[in-house]
Amino acid sequence: MRLNRFASFVFALVLSAVATAPSFAQPPAPPQGAGPGGPGGPPAAGNGGVPAFFGGPPHKPGGPVQHLADGHPDMQGFWNAANNGGAVFELQNHPTGRRPFFGPGKGAIVDPADGFIPYQPAAKAKAQDLFEHDLAEEPELHCYESGVPKQMYVQFGFQIFQPANYVVLTWEFMHAYRIIPTDGRPHIPANIKLFQGDSVGHWEGDTLVVDTTNLNDRTWYDTVGNFHSDAEHVVERFTPVDTNTIKYEATVEDPKVLTKPFKMEMELDKSSDSKYEQMEFGCIEGNQDVKHYTKDKGGAADVKVK
Amino acid sequence: MSISFVDSMVAGAALLALSWGAAQPVQAQNSMARAAYKVPRTPDGLPDLQGIWQVRDTTAAFDVQDHAGALGIPPGRSIVVQPADGNIPYKPEALAKRRENFKNRDMADTLNKCYMPGVPRITYMDYPFQIFETPKYTLIAYEYIHNYRTIFTNGTQHLEGLDWWNGDSRGHWDGDSLVVDVSDFNDQTWFDASGDYHSDKLHVVERYTRTGPETLQYEATIEDPEVFTQPWKISILLYRHTEPNFRVLEYECQAYADEAKGGSK
Repeated sequence: MRLNRFASFVFALVLSAVATAPSFAQPPAPPQGAGPGGPGGPPAAGNGGVPAFFGGPPHKPGGPVQHLADGHPDMQGFWNAANNGGAVFELQNHPTGRRPFFGPGKGAIVDPADGFIPYQPAAKAKAQDLFEHDLAEEPELHCYESGVPKQMYVQFGFQIFQPANYVVLTWEFMHAYRIIPTDGRPHIPANIKLFQGDSVGHWEGDTLVVDTTNLNDRTWYDTVGNFHSDAEHVVERFTPVDTNTIKYEATVEDPKVLTKPFKMEMELDKSSDSKYEQMEFGCIEGNQDVKHYTKDKGGAADVKVK
Repeated sequence: MSISFVDSMVAGAALLALSWGAAQPVQAQNSMARAAYKVPRTPDGLPDLQGIWQVRDTTAAFDVQDHAGALGIPPGRSIVVQPADGNIPYKPEALAKRRENFKNRDMADTLNKCYMPGVPRITYMDYPFQIFETPKYTLIAYEYIHNYRTIFTNGTQHLEGLDWWNGDSRGHWDGDSLVVDVSDFNDQTWFDASGDYHSDKLHVVERYTRTGPETLQYEATIEDPEVFTQPWKISILLYRHTEPNFRVLEYECQAYADEAKGGSK
């Protein structure tokens, strides 16, 4: 997937040029060829060998799941969606790729089994039309938050916090966040539509189950026009597998767009870099980020701890 | 007799206390109430500042100093408590720049481009924010354009070489207060909508102290040797939202601007 990811960065940059929108802070492409799982590199690890974080070590399984004083599993730390068949670029099966932008991949949809979004006919035509004519409408090019579920598999990872009665997630990308109360409160009224929706959670054993409604229709599932309506309803399940791994599942309903719900699955991997911190990510402010990457990672910054 | 004597002493003392209390300035009464208030603790034993907070003094975001009304700017009193005159101690040339900024504020205030507001400005803008605490981090999630600040309370130090809109925040607990050292700023944000500004040498030390069940005192000491003759300090009260259905929602400036322009839906 290395080359595909690289091609996709180029794709995103091309798109931003087309849209005359600010170009995102894309990190330097990972070095080609020598990484684990890459050509000439050591064998792939469980996630295909792609590092959970750029420049970080490949993902390794951790120890037994630990629990906090409140009895819930401790999922705090920095996480990133593992190589999930290029889902951030195209969520559904893309057996021939979306050339010239990027190559084939399976996406992250496990139900239906063919991996395709079960669109109603008119919606399928609209998604194709968006791909062919309106890629400049890609919401993140306009510095919008990514919505649910896409927020979970954007690049650069996220941090999980577990203060009492909440799970809170923050992303470097677009400085997005999600606040998930787990105190049993109801959803807000349906007429309030939000980019990130309204999420309420509860625990089923070690699994965090999150129900999200109130989503607006201004985000996509990926970068190639796969879209949803404001009737989208998402149920996510976060199940810790070990200290370094979470199984993520999301079931998506959208009666205005889909013939039936679909389900996606992906692995979330924890960063093993104990000094990892999120950087500030400007978007509409202009790309200030490249210089924040250290010189050894291709940036201009001489960042060091005092 | 002795009992009634004691009774009358107590009654007299109570009366005296009542009349004394009534005669005290509101401020003194407040500080007495504060001294009596016991700040609650989180399950981890930290002073519990968690909740959704917002200013009531909404004019500070327009101008932190004493000001009469102007077009688009409601009048208000200064939140600058040091120096005592309530004025920001600008260097002479910096004061001229501030006046220039005021004249050009519609174009020159980066807030009008939906950029991140910077610190401390984001604290007293008229949008709520929610504080979350864990032992290693205090997180502030702001409704305004989904800004958030991760305040490290894990003993780590500032990074060098950054120039961030909202700065790099490292905090520690000092008694009942959260003290946050914020640096690594750029020079693109203002303190308010009236052109009060800083350079990239800005250094802010914030202090968050809960003073009652529904109030949080916010103080910030501001240093910038390129712009000010001395450090200065602001103080403003934050109020807790206790409405049971209150939520931090979204204010997505950029998306609304696109909508208004008829661009991306």
